[in-house]
Amino acid sequence: MLKYEFVEHTADLTFKACGRDLNQLFENAAEALESTLVMLESVALRDTTTIEMTSDSCEDLLYDWLADLLVTFEVNRFAVKKCIVKIAGLSLNVECWGERIDPNKHILNTEVKAVTYHNLQIKKNNVYHAEVTLDV
Amino acid sequence: MTLAELVREDEYIWEVPEGTAPGMRVPGRIFLSDALMKYLEPGAIQQVANVATLPGIQRWSLAMPDVHTGYGFPIGGVAAFDATEGVLSPGGVGFDINCGTRLLATTLFKEEVEQRIDEFLAALFQAIPSGLGSKGPLRLSETELDNVFSSGAKWAVNHGYGDAKDLTHCESDGCLDGADPSKVSPLAKKRGKPQLGSLGSGNHFLEIQYVDQICERHAANLFGLKEEQVCIMLHSGSRGAGHQICTDYLKVFQGASRKYDIKLPDKQLACVPAESPEGRNYFGAMAAAANYAWTNRQMMSFWVRNVVEQKFGATATLVYDVAHNIAKLERHSVGEARKEVYVHRKGATRAFDKDSSYGIGQPVLIPGSMGTASYVLHGTKKAMTTTFGSTCHGAGRVLSRKAAKRSLTWKTVIENLRQKHITIKTDDLSAVPEEAPEAYKPIDEVIEVVSKLGISKAVARLAPIGVIKG
Repeated sequence: MLKYEFVEHTADLTFKACGRDLNQLFENAAEALESTLVMLESVALRDTTTIEMTSDSCEDLLYDWLADLLVTFEVNRFAVKKCIVKIAGLSLNVECWGERIDPNKHILNTEVKAVTYHNLQIKKNNVYHAEVTLDV
Repeated sequence: MTLAELVREDEYIWEVPEGTAPGMRVPGRIFLSDALMKYLEPGAIQQVANVATLPGIQRWSLAMPDVHTGYGFPIGGVAAFDATEGVLSPGGVGFDINCGTRLLATTLFKEEVEQRIDEFLAALFQAIPSGLGSKGPLRLSETELDNVFSSGAKWAVNHGYGDAKDLTHCESDGCLDGADPSKVSPLAKKRGKPQLGSLGSGNHFLEIQYVDQICERHAANLFGLKEEQVCIMLHSGSRGAGHQICTDYLKVFQGASRKYDIKLPDKQLACVPAESPEGRNYFGAMAAAANYAWTNRQMMSFWVRNVVEQKFGATATLVYDVAHNIAKLERHSVGEARKEVYVHRKGATRAFDKDSSYGIGQPVLIPGSMGTASYVLHGTKKAMTTTFGSTCHGAGRVLSRKAAKRSLTWKTVIENLRQKHITIKTDDLSAVPEEAPEAYKPIDEVIEVVSKLGISKAVARLAPIGVIKG
């Protein structure tokens, strides 16, 4: 199973993420987003942060989770390399590992303006799938 | 949705008939030449049709010739909604609220700049913060940031970043009425505060250009443009503040759309009645972001002027500043009636037939892709009757960023630019292929369509000699 892959979208950046359960789907979607922002090989597992939230639907939870990661990156200047997601109902609790962004050490990639709702849906066949479009 | 569903109305107008998608309230119209038809994606037609389903839409859901698939609205999309019975949709404005273009005309000519292009670019690169997460030099207080949100470019002028005449050369005088900083979330303020006075990254840029062709002499004289004259074009927006405001209100509108029983073909089209509390709150916050963007571009112009003066002892005059991601309350003719409507321009530029400072149609600034020409046009009466006073905003992408990176390397793109005597400076070489000319439609063809259609008229063609890619 591929963790995630980027697919064609003329204006923006779209990725498809997979996971054997919702927890893993959210972890892989996070990695897709973070890899867009920064070269993850340059990020060490130095510090941790915890993110918790509750949303109205599973798709909203995915949207809110990724939007929060974006804020964590831009405002708190913290790049997440690895995370462990625990979803219960429509709430999530995530332990994140990474480090504070240092432009001299980290190789920054693309600025992501926002996560969009465009075609955002979570599907399940053998595994969970989600397609997410980022405005870049 | 396929091309076969389009009905050709005349040489440049293709109709998306009302029954093409369920729930369409008006037909769609896409403006394209035969040459541009090959770039039209089924996804973009679908998005034109989706916008036509939103409540209160007037006459048509429109797409300019630089149309391509976006999220929610197509890029190049224009739609007007009745001010009392219609909706406001953050997806019809975009995340980068008041992303726009500004042009400064210098007293310099090509020959004197060409010889010192590296030095000129380096000085501009140093003076204007650019790149991912770039920050401005100011440390604003909460109150000052609120003043920026309320006053727009006037705030910058009052703080010494330019003069009052600049304001008359900005769309809406660089300030959208109705801004309400109290409707901007603390997080949006936190994101916006350190970034005021920065270019950003992605497709944002600063270009050193020269006038390589005058297309309409009278208008060019009025706009102060001459052959070989060096101009500086800036493309930037409202940075993290605008991105967060759109994100915040999209979330609010997801629930509110259900509350107002609005059926959405795409979640990204979430909208609410313009007159609802949620609608008014969004407009107040959106206008605040628009004002932030005008302030941002005004500040960067000041630094451009400083460099022009320090390096060359020359000056630079603001030709104009336009927004191309915005929703505005305007009066337009709809059939026999004059109506107040919220015009959403998502990757489209206002092209009004009158501008008080120049006495002709307003200047319209259309950047080409990196390394290709840009254009100055003016607005027309035809735009007022055909497109709610709107025209295109750029060349329009044809290749995804992924495809561009797959087919081109940054070394090739930079070498190709060098052969055209164009120098580039950037912090992010890996992203250079994404903005390569090959990733965009031919700008000359897009301009020909809007000119022949008459929704704006070409005044001057500008060729690049130096690029700072954000």
